[in-house]
Amino acid sequence: MNRDYFSFFGIEPQLALDPISLQQRFYELSRQWHPDRFARRPASEQMEALDNTALLNDAFRTLKDPVERAEYVLSRYGRGLEDGAGKQVPPDLLEEVFEMNMALDELKEGDASARPQLESARANFTALLSEIDADLERQFLRWDSVKNAETLSAVRTLLNKRKYIVNLVNTATLALGN
Amino acid sequence: MAYSDKVLDHYNNPRNVGSLDKGAANVGTGIVGAPECGDVMKLQVRVNDATGIIEEAKFKTFGCGSAIASSSLATEWLKGKTVDEALAIKNTDIVNELSLPPVKIHCSVLAEDAIKAAITDYKTKQGAAQPAAEALKA
Repeated sequence: MNRDYFSFFGIEPQLALDPISLQQRFYELSRQWHPDRFARRPASEQMEALDNTALLNDAFRTLKDPVERAEYVLSRYGRGLEDGAGKQVPPDLLEEVFEMNMALDELKEGDASARPQLESARANFTALLSEIDADLERQFLRWDSVKNAETLSAVRTLLNKRKYIVNLVNTATLALGN
Repeated sequence: MAYSDKVLDHYNNPRNVGSLDKGAANVGTGIVGAPECGDVMKLQVRVNDATGIIEEAKFKTFGCGSAIASSSLATEWLKGKTVDEALAIKNTDIVNELSLPPVKIHCSVLAEDAIKAAITDYKTKQGAAQPAAEALKA
């Protein structure tokens, strides 16, 4: 169960991988390990095919998504880097976060004048998400070429920030009702 | 988890909730966040320039009861203190006063950080204001 997803796909551990070739490789491996092809084989081989198909699906689901992929790489190579679980307030955003919480409170108390403020806060945070994704992309390429701890740590920080902001945007959307 | 009576009192009747004019030269603002729980706290002080005594303190905290109680208590303590006395307030004082359990100690740390941030902001503003005043005289 502990088999490395990258090695299962026959590729080097990498953060900036090409989704199209990943998908092609997924189709190849799906055919290779399809349980139907093992129907007449001994039970042990049938089991192996089933296990590999399950592993393949987990691996593909994880590797095709940039954030999931990065979390996976961090879990294997980034020991000691703390997963903020979306709770770490990015220090540079404290003021904006505070203001958004104020607007959320006002809206909850029935003050509709807080709506535009909340909408603009959400727009700002959504724009920030795109910036973070661009930063992540840069750090991904960097890690693939240098594979150092410093870059992984930068990825961890960006992912923590990203999680926090995704939560904020979702909270705002929930409160705004659209 | 049971809150102490003092925490409940501050939580139900928080003292000094509100805000002061962030742009005023004699107002220091500190906004801090807790990585452990996502709480966000804003604490502000208005200082009498002549005496250096904190005349007004306000806070607004988004967080748990202990975080609200810690900042509420902090604003009570701040009023009437000098800026330097304010810096001497330790999170352990807050822990003792509110009987905070170990899992809530970070709330008191947050309040201490907020005090320090507000005072630092005030001092920075004062430092920036003085050269400007000198420049006006010249």
